[in-house]
Amino acid sequence: MTTRTPHPSRGARPGATRLAFSLALALALLAATTLASIALGNLHIPPHDLWNALTGNGDPHHTAVLQSRHPRTALGILAGACLAVAGTLMQGVTRNPLADPGMLGINAGASATIVLATAYLGVSGQHDILWWSLPGALAAGAVVHLIGTRRGGTSTVRLVLAGAVLAAVLNALIQAVTLSEPQVFDNYRFWVVGSLAGRDFDILWTVLPLAATGLTAALALGRPLNTVALGDDSATALGAKPARTKAAGLLTATLLAAAATAATGPIAFVGLAVPHLVRALIGTDFRLQILFSLLLGPSLLLTADIIGRLVLRPEELMVGIVTAFVGAPALLIAVRKMRKNA
Amino acid sequence: MTARGATTPRRTLRPRTLATAAAFLTLLLATATATLTLGRLGIAPAELPAALLGDAEGKNAFVLERLRGPRLIVALGVGAAFGLAGTLFQSVTRNPLGSPDVIGIGAGAGAGAAIVALFLPGLLPVPLGALTGAVLAMAIVYLSTGTGFRSPGRFIVAGIGVTAVAQAIIQYAVYAIERDKASVLTAYVNGSLNARSWEDAATIWLAVALTAPLTALIARDLTVGEMGDDTATALGTRPARIRTTAVVLSIILSAAAVSAAGPIAFVSLCAPQIARRCTRAPGPNLAMSALAGAFLLALADLAAQQLPLFTTLPVGIYTMALGGGYLGYLLLSEWRRGAL
Repeated sequence: MTTRTPHPSRGARPGATRLAFSLALALALLAATTLASIALGNLHIPPHDLWNALTGNGDPHHTAVLQSRHPRTALGILAGACLAVAGTLMQGVTRNPLADPGMLGINAGASATIVLATAYLGVSGQHDILWWSLPGALAAGAVVHLIGTRRGGTSTVRLVLAGAVLAAVLNALIQAVTLSEPQVFDNYRFWVVGSLAGRDFDILWTVLPLAATGLTAALALGRPLNTVALGDDSATALGAKPARTKAAGLLTATLLAAAATAATGPIAFVGLAVPHLVRALIGTDFRLQILFSLLLGPSLLLTADIIGRLVLRPEELMVGIVTAFVGAPALLIAVRKMRKNA
Repeated sequence: MTARGATTPRRTLRPRTLATAAAFLTLLLATATATLTLGRLGIAPAELPAALLGDAEGKNAFVLERLRGPRLIVALGVGAAFGLAGTLFQSVTRNPLGSPDVIGIGAGAGAGAAIVALFLPGLLPVPLGALTGAVLAMAIVYLSTGTGFRSPGRFIVAGIGVTAVAQAIIQYAVYAIERDKASVLTAYVNGSLNARSWEDAATIWLAVALTAPLTALIARDLTVGEMGDDTATALGTRPARIRTTAVVLSIILSAAAVSAAGPIAFVSLCAPQIARRCTRAPGPNLAMSALAGAFLLALADLAAQQLPLFTTLPVGIYTMALGGGYLGYLLLSEWRRGAL
């Protein structure tokens, strides 16, 4: 599992027909989940009324309900894209199929600085929280990268363990602070379960610049990452600068993860699962991987959110919990493919 | 069976082991004395010997018999159980990280407790929920690796997956429950020794008393097992059977500890390592690990009771910080040797 990871191959691209088909499929899926996210929810609206409400001449109550689902849908698209692309970048840079913002402790880092800032600096409000999530995410990313990958080589399990350790230590810090400050605890226990509900467009506009910067940078990194994937020596021989590309990749991934975490709270497994799906679908060309992650990440997150709205009706299950329940079994299946002595 | 006597390491008590044991016992006694005497409610050191001999009155009797006495005894028992569980597990997996913690037993216990607190309040005791959760988590990890506990890489990753689901359950419960109860539940799922009773003490010491003789019986075979399956088979042991026995014993011990004190993190990870590094003896250092575990937990609980910084924190937070730091050190040193 350690060595079979994203292997470079401009030669191993799918044929044009398959590519076109996959692209159409991904776009259709995104459109379908977006529509479903607006149409389905706590209040059941029959198809006929739904059509009327969508075209603008239905029951005003229905129209209002549908409109109330717009912000969470938009946020789901943004967060899903950020998390999936972050996961693809991390798995590509570290050549580790288990890399993802949750596994590597970056979400925990963002949570820790947010908790510290709300507890001791009196920070509140979505804007400030976004900026406080960044230093923690960056520091956590740097620490895990340092512990997990020094001297070039990385082992899958090592990097994951480094992330688990860091997350455990940060978790101790977070619990210590939240348990001694009841008010902070009350906010934190709602925030720490990643959720798309109860957010408005303001938070979207707040994280959009950061997310857009990260996504643009990610798309630009596709080609350099392809070169780096040939191995450090070959890449250097071809005139690339592997160290710089890797650092840029990790930095971009961390920015994206921080943006998503600030917007929705920590959501696990989207960043882990989507890159695997994408590689199965279109191969290992990073330009395509990043593009398809961008399209499929939102579909996955919205699907999880819709499931969360429907399973416990009239209650709601937060999307972060649904992704854990969907993602962990996928991880357990992946475990069986690992080398026995990994 | 008779032929192996010549080649297996002999269990002679080495001076270094004896010295370490004496040092640990002294530290343990000092910690216990501090636990009983420090602070506003502490028993005055001059009155302690008389109080321990059954001469306590008034405040001292209350502190000794209700407040700190049972708490200390539970801490020692739980620490010893975690130490034993950890050393069994690490011996079987031949991996310093192969502790019941890392593969999700604590998170599973927390999730079990959370489910009971949220959906069945009053129907089932929370510790029973924790016990069920812990056993279930281990079963899932065992079954999902496809190779049991044989390949550390696999079960560590599987454990992380199981932990994620368990954590999601805990977070949902903490979110959905009322605020006051949420705070209590959070303390419990982090492992707490607050308000322990003599029943808790009896539970944990009974579990230790029942499993300790069995662990002693397989100790020699475990040492042989660490040489590898082929060698162990050639020396006349049955590696697969020993391994299963050790894992089952380890799970019983952890589960008993978890139901007495909640999932206290990282004691079962650190204690065997500290024991091994101090004694430098081969094989699982069963007695020393138990001693180290008891000392670590008693010390952490002393900190939880007396540190002025955060007076109300559950002891699990302190062990988590301790274990996290230790694990970081371990990762760095293992990897410097290129072992991981």
